[in-house]
Amino acid sequence: MTDELKVLIERRGGDGAVLYTRGYINNVGGEEIANCAYKLMDDGVKNLLLNLKETKIVNSIGISILIEIIEKMMEKQGKLAFCCLTPVIEKTFHIMGLAQYAAIYKDEAAASSDMTL
Amino acid sequence: MTFTVEREVELTLPMVPDIEIAAARAAGNLARQHGLSTDKIDEMAHAIIEACINAREHGSCEDKRIYLRFAAGVDPDGRSRMDVWITDKGRGFDTTDARSRRNAVGKPQRRGWGLQIMEAHMDQVDIDSDSNGTTIHMVKYGE
Repeated sequence: MTDELKVLIERRGGDGAVLYTRGYINNVGGEEIANCAYKLMDDGVKNLLLNLKETKIVNSIGISILIEIIEKMMEKQGKLAFCCLTPVIEKTFHIMGLAQYAAIYKDEAAASSDMTL
Repeated sequence: MTFTVEREVELTLPMVPDIEIAAARAAGNLARQHGLSTDKIDEMAHAIIEACINAREHGSCEDKRIYLRFAAGVDPDGRSRMDVWITDKGRGFDTTDARSRRNAVGKPQRRGWGLQIMEAHMDQVDIDSDSNGTTIHMVKYGE
């Protein structure tokens, strides 16, 4: 299909980074995000923001992988947050419990300010 | 059927990875023509995606097909609505058991969210399942 996920990584300072996603977060897309996130964590990143502005569709398998990333980041005493979610993706995140352990910001400016990225 | 159907689409799709996107887009096109808002179309799309994944993961169908029917219409009281039927010819499942095993909303749990996501995004979800297959019927109302 045509919605294969692309991830762009932007490092911010010593321990921060933003991942920009474009496309469908399913099992394959979730794994792609996880691979990028784990590499960044191994490289010392403790403040990670996922900007989902260009992602319009997610599924429960993809979100379950995002939960794994949150758990790994918490183990490392780090922080993971999301921004620029569509209303339906934000609603789905709340249903599945992501909102309980990861902050959700309306836009990147608010996230960057709060996370000092 | 107690409502008037204005437009209808039937599709048979192969059970291949990401086919749920094609199903959601087809339903979205019909819903857009019928005047549903973008937010309601997005919610319906996510519910259809979960229903198709459920059919693909749990259906175990020999024919490896998902049968979809979308109907856009109006209720007797004039309210617009979109009905979606998603059918697989798999071995079925115990719907009572599936509904009783639901996760607590907001509690992180990795799998088993499909039915709850469908229910959260649609106005009505009915499941008919036996050893010959499963049909999920969902309704989304317009403004």
